[in-house]
Amino acid sequence: MAYMSMGEAHRRITEYLNRFSDAISSQDASSFKSLFAISSKCRLADKELASNGKSPEKLKGAGSLLMKVFGSLAGKGSKRVGALYVTCQLFKIYFKLGTVHLCRSVIRSIETARIFDFEEFPKRDKVTYMYHTGRLEVFNENFPAADQKLSYALKHCNPQSEANIRLILKHLIPVKLSIGILPKDRLLEKYNLLEYSHIVQALRRGDLRLLRCALQDHEDRFLRSGVYLVLEKLELQVYQRLVKKIHIIQKQRDPSKAHQVKLEVIVKALKWLEIDMDVDEVECIMAILIYKNLVKGYFAHKSKVVVLSKQDHFPKLNGKPVNS
Amino acid sequence: MEGGAPRNRNPSSHSVSTSFSQSSRSNATHQSKVSTFAQIERRGRASSSSTSYSNINTQHYADADSDSNFVPLVGTCPYMCPEGERIQRENLRDLAVFERLNGNPRKSSPGLAVKKFSGGGCHILVSCNPLPSLMNFFFLSTKGKPDGDLQNTFPIRTISSKCASDVRPLPVLEDTLKYLLSFLESKEKPFEVVHDFVFDRTRSIRQDLTMQNIVNTKAIYMYEGMVKFHVVSHHKLRHSMSDPNIASMHHLNMEQLTKTLASLFSLYEANRNSNYVHENEAEFHSLNVLLHLGSYSKPMGEPLSLWFSRLSPLVLKSKEMRFARRILRSFRLGNYKDFFCTAAAQASYLQYCIMEPYINEVRALALSCINFGGYKLHPYPLFELSKQLMIKESDLETFCKSCGLETCTDESGNKLLPTKQDTFSHPKGGFQIYSFLGFQEYESQF
Repeated sequence: MAYMSMGEAHRRITEYLNRFSDAISSQDASSFKSLFAISSKCRLADKELASNGKSPEKLKGAGSLLMKVFGSLAGKGSKRVGALYVTCQLFKIYFKLGTVHLCRSVIRSIETARIFDFEEFPKRDKVTYMYHTGRLEVFNENFPAADQKLSYALKHCNPQSEANIRLILKHLIPVKLSIGILPKDRLLEKYNLLEYSHIVQALRRGDLRLLRCALQDHEDRFLRSGVYLVLEKLELQVYQRLVKKIHIIQKQRDPSKAHQVKLEVIVKALKWLEIDMDVDEVECIMAILIYKNLVKGYFAHKSKVVVLSKQDHFPKLNGKPVNS
Repeated sequence: MEGGAPRNRNPSSHSVSTSFSQSSRSNATHQSKVSTFAQIERRGRASSSSTSYSNINTQHYADADSDSNFVPLVGTCPYMCPEGERIQRENLRDLAVFERLNGNPRKSSPGLAVKKFSGGGCHILVSCNPLPSLMNFFFLSTKGKPDGDLQNTFPIRTISSKCASDVRPLPVLEDTLKYLLSFLESKEKPFEVVHDFVFDRTRSIRQDLTMQNIVNTKAIYMYEGMVKFHVVSHHKLRHSMSDPNIASMHHLNMEQLTKTLASLFSLYEANRNSNYVHENEAEFHSLNVLLHLGSYSKPMGEPLSLWFSRLSPLVLKSKEMRFARRILRSFRLGNYKDFFCTAAAQASYLQYCIMEPYINEVRALALSCINFGGYKLHPYPLFELSKQLMIKESDLETFCKSCGLETCTDESGNKLLPTKQDTFSHPKGGFQIYSFLGFQEYESQF
């Protein structure tokens, strides 16, 4: 293919696919193999075009062609098990083009149409599908749904394909962190996801500086995989942890006054972490933590102090996202 | 917070204000405009006989479309408005106030008439087989119809000399845009009237650009000017949103704002070579981040995270983007203190125009946090809160009331906000516009 002009290659594949989608209505399940090969090549050719900075219009064309194929597969009979494969190819194209809103209609027909029984599709397609839709949920910050989809992908993914597991974890870890579930270090080591280890540590220690440094050090990577904004939001949980630590220390010294945390003390703790924040901003942070139910209690503006409730001062997220 | 790093607050000397400020406009310059355009006419005519424009059209796409035999249209219209259209509109008395010669509703002149945007039943004949690749390229990331609504015109087949003479070449378009944007400085007519005129006529400029496949750096500057127009309008129209006509204008303006911005991003992309970032690219990208401040709004149909993943690190790490991302972070965390400090210290005028609607949203969040978590026996002093939220104390009092919160006064006359009130609510008709003490210079523009 490399010796052909990309435009030419594209045209030939397009022609194949066009004929294929016309013919598919009279074909049976045995022709799927060739369909798979062709539609994946189509995407590859487009990818090359795109990487050369050429008009992604070809990709768009490929998208609408695949959509046509999807339409003809969505009928009855054994053919429809191929629909999920085509859907996944479509996702890849839409992600590349930045037109993910187009995924919606395909997802709807997969998830609500009675013609499809999700469990009937081949396993590998189910995993790919759940990975992509899970990612979409991450981008929309719909964490419970993202957790469910990515966990499905992880559970059913071929345990031999470490690269795929790693891809899934790359998105699943930030989701789990957002709902208060921290991974073991072993997991991060095994799948070479060490970029997350400082973030996890920051959450354990309430170390705001570590969180910010980790975000800065791996900024490019996190931005490219689309999880940066999710990780950035973990800051609230880090503050919660920090106040909790201060509370624990106070309890060791003087249990009778431990439930009162002076804002000045938090300012000082942050100063040790080389983070400059004045009392006003710390009060603002505490007000948010209380508002979002990460801290139970109230703050007194005049006496610059946070008073914690008698019990359950730092409610756990327990698998639920922080209130928005 | 004042007196920090030097920054430019004066919109008219702002880095992206090229088209807005260069042609300062007054009654007196009205006549001279006409003579300026006489020169353009000559220039336009001269070039229409040569082929000097053909090289700018598809330079970029020449190789990408080796398989197409598409020859882009080269406009030859020397005026801001094709003569035929002008005469037709004179007869139909279809002239905008700014196009009437001495106020005569049926008389215009080449120096006054500007080509209207033609959606739907348009009379322009275009040869497009296949569609110009850029048409698709431009509108990939926008929802729905392309900017110029050209789809509608594509069934028409034949190219004719009449067609080329209805389309303005780049230099004429540039001057037309400059002329149009100069109206924004004018105070003769209410802003809505100016907006209505410029809104339509700039759309027609984009249509002409698209039809000729002009994607060079000059097109970038033109798009920047047009985006700027929509951004400033976005802000100015908000001041009279109670009028339903203006509210719908505001809505349509937002629609064109996102479309034009998306086209601009495609233009940057089309002109990208390796490590070069166009001078204003970072600021215009930052506007898209700020447009996403609203809770989960997706003005361009794409989650911000995904958009970030496709951007060049140079843009992402630019000063302007760092600012916008910091604002986004404080907004999402609810850190109102940092939000206001950062905004007041660093926002450019354009950034401010986009952020302004969200400022009251953050203030409302601050009020609900303080009301919810504050100690009941210590009402919060409004004066201190007003400093944090960068609002006049008297405005803050009104603001509290509009959110359903009572205020009180202590024995020494200080205004206080009692906490734990269970009457907090977002005002139904939205917020009115309050002072923003970090931006008096910007506000005094109006």
